Amino acid sequence: MNGGLKSGLVLLILGIISGTLLAVVNSLTAPKIEEIEQNIVYESLENFYDLDNYVITEENIESDGLDTIYILTNKSDDQIGALIYLVSAAGYNGDVTMLIAINNDYSVEGYTIVSQKENPPINDDFVHHDYNVTDITNLNDFDAIAGATYTSTAIRDCFIIISDRVVSDFGGGLND
Amino acid sequence: MTKKENFLKGIFSENPLFVSVLGMCPSLAVTTSLENALGMGIGVFFVLVLSNFTVSLIMSNPKLAELVKPVRIPVYIVVIATLVTIVEMLMHAYLIDLYNSLGVFLPLIVVNCIILGRAEAFASNNKPVDSVIDGIGMALGFTSALVIISVFREFLGKGTITVWGNAVIHLESIFDFLHMEPMGLFVQPAGAFLSFGLILAALVAIGNKRKENKAKGVATNG
Repeated sequence: MNGGLKSGLVLLILGIISGTLLAVVNSLTAPKIEEIEQNIVYESLENFYDLDNYVITEENIESDGLDTIYILTNKSDDQIGALIYLVSAAGYNGDVTMLIAINNDYSVEGYTIVSQKENPPINDDFVHHDYNVTDITNLNDFDAIAGATYTSTAIRDCFIIISDRVVSDFGGGLND
Repeated sequence: MTKKENFLKGIFSENPLFVSVLGMCPSLAVTTSLENALGMGIGVFFVLVLSNFTVSLIMSNPKLAELVKPVRIPVYIVVIATLVTIVEMLMHAYLIDLYNSLGVFLPLIVVNCIILGRAEAFASNNKPVDSVIDGIGMALGFTSALVIISVFREFLGKGTITVWGNAVIHLESIFDFLHMEPMGLFVQPAGAFLSFGLILAALVAIGNKRKENKAKGVATNG
């Protein structure tokens, strides 16, 4: 057999071994990672609302950066009180995932960055910045920030994804 | 070279950061706190030791080495990338704060010159046991350099030293005593270069002084 072909075959075998090893480690760590992310989401939800007053249902969407919508239904009148979106968009170094809470009058109750991969020293500025979004249907006053190694483009994109569908979601679109 | 010399060279005479000046980019970026430095050190330790072992194991078999030689760099990269991905997944699952703190610099260990350099310069030409000892020495040398830089930067920049999680040593009283504020510049990117330069200058000065004393001793004895 040709020498180059043999070397290629060795590389292929090594790749298969590596892939198998990674699959095994992933099968061990993936449930733990999912549990951590779920905990972060629920802790954030509790910061937005008193969850004792609501019944929470989850709608898995998984399209256009949207992952899950948490529907908070008032226990008193059975109406949707708020929608909380778990949404992602591409950031400088990877996806930025946000949790955005919208009241039924389209006002923004709060938002938090669940995960992001912007560079470490500037994490705090990026995560804790006030992006000045109070009404999800009006993003004109969005306060963008940017630096040498980060931008708020992903944050804006997350808001846009929600803005494009929130009216329909509150109007019964979630049942379609 | 004895096993002891092989081990110690990575910490002192061939320290990857202070002597060879390798792996500078992540080193300067993550040394904003001691916790980050230790986290990065642990990651590099795991990857460097295991990559040295794996590369040495492959290259110590003459027939396999012959086949691997034309594609050795891709082989090293596959080995290193696999190990780095494992570290990343484990850190994400069990050390989430550290994982978030190290950010992009964790996957960037794949292209760290120290790891690829040791695989090519040492592990490919030496036995697995020697390669593991070399990896341990180099990783400890790298980690101790990160620790020195991070303690210097965090103390001067914040007046604290974050050992791990909530274990923080508060040294603000020293600044109060001196009627000064911590110098925030040192935890900024510019401060990283400044700290590294100052530490390197101090180490070179100590090295020169020792050489001078040694030369004087030789002259006196002679």
